[in-house]
Amino acid sequence: PIRQQDTTAKPLRDYSEALEMWTRFQTKTQSLSQSLTSQLRLILTPTQSTKLSGAFRTGKRLNIKKIIPYIASGYKRDKIWMRRAIPSKRAYQILLCVDDSSSMSDANRAASGRLALESLVMVARALTALEAGQIGVLGFGSDVFVAHALTDPPFTAADAGARVLQQFTFGQDHTDMARLLRATIDHFRDARLRQPSSAGGEDLWQLALILSDGLVQSSEHARLRPLLREALEQRVMVVFIVLDDVREGKRSHSVLELKEARFGPDGMPVLHRYLDSFPFPYYLIVHHLEDLPGALAALLRTWFAEVNS
Amino acid sequence: MDEPMTDAPGAQIRVTFTTTEPDLQLPESKRQLLVPADIRRYGLSRILNSESMLGTGSIPFDFLVNGSFLRSSLEDYLTSNGLSLETSLTLQYVRSLLPPVYQASF
Ligand SMILES: [Mg+2]
Repeated sequence: PIRQQDTTAKPLRDYSEALEMWTRFQTKTQSLSQSLTSQLRLILTPTQSTKLSGAFRTGKRLNIKKIIPYIASGYKRDKIWMRRAIPSKRAYQILLCVDDSSSMSDANRAASGRLALESLVMVARALTALEAGQIGVLGFGSDVFVAHALTDPPFTAADAGARVLQQFTFGQDHTDMARLLRATIDHFRDARLRQPSSAGGEDLWQLALILSDGLVQSSEHARLRPLLREALEQRVMVVFIVLDDVREGKRSHSVLELKEARFGPDGMPVLHRYLDSFPFPYYLIVHHLEDLPGALAALLRTWFAEVNS
Repeated sequence: MDEPMTDAPGAQIRVTFTTTEPDLQLPESKRQLLVPADIRRYGLSRILNSESMLGTGSIPFDFLVNGSFLRSSLEDYLTSNGLSLETSLTLQYVRSLLPPVYQASF
């Protein structure tokens, strides 16, 4: 369902411009990226298991079930101790899904496009430094495209990054979130099947981070709920990062303040808060780039605590 | 099958209201709004006049989009200008200059 970017169909950003952008954003987000790396390391890498189990000659606590056989065997079957279980290694597949629709563009007096690309660079760099697993980038608007496949070379070289940035021009004339969720679920299902069998002992975690201005036609909100349920059933975590640009003089444009007017049967307009029908259970609102590392780490920490309890 | 969508909205357009009239200013938090795409001048006036907005009752408003008066639905305006629903429109509202007979006295 997802095609590779057809380079003839879509105008691309100039390569040297994209390379310059990647380098500039990388420098600008360097310390934020490092901060995100160290926060995520604590969350994504299990270092400690609280569970005691097994049967060993030495250990932390006696395994009561082993005591009777131990005595009955004339103290020969002496593996009677439990130890802390070694935490199972986790493998990650992470898709960064960037909104390429024109509501994000400078032409629309919105800076969310630039904020999305800066966030993309920061998060991609942080995850690459973690060596947590495979990282892919999807673009979406009226269509979904693969800007960087999970199996593509990592973002250690600026070239890989520049080729991703080239593909985001914020010109798509619709924000089809349902199509993105469908594509994400399918993409992760295929990727899970393609996991080499050697990694079978690892615990595979699949995470989608959506970077967007959060503007989806309200009429489509209801269509997203079953897809979000399906993602949950497939053990795919979806985090929506709402890039809400509120630099000076633009507070009135915040999605937090955004309301929608509908006409009731009596012809009178009724106002609702836009975010009240926003269907994503895990979302965070980022006003400035500096907010992102802490907010994302806090959300993931909460989520891991929930799934592990 | 699908849940009944009793209150399902149609397509929406994001607008920002501005005005130069000092007595008709909206607080900043109310200037941005999602409105039905098929809305016209009359519907927009009703919204502006409503209690949740200006609370002005029934002032007839005219709306300027990029310098010209809105004479169609917002959706038609976007279509005829080659724009999509992704576009946010700035609507400048003014008291409607009615009735036109006054022009004769000048
Ligand atoms: Mg959009």
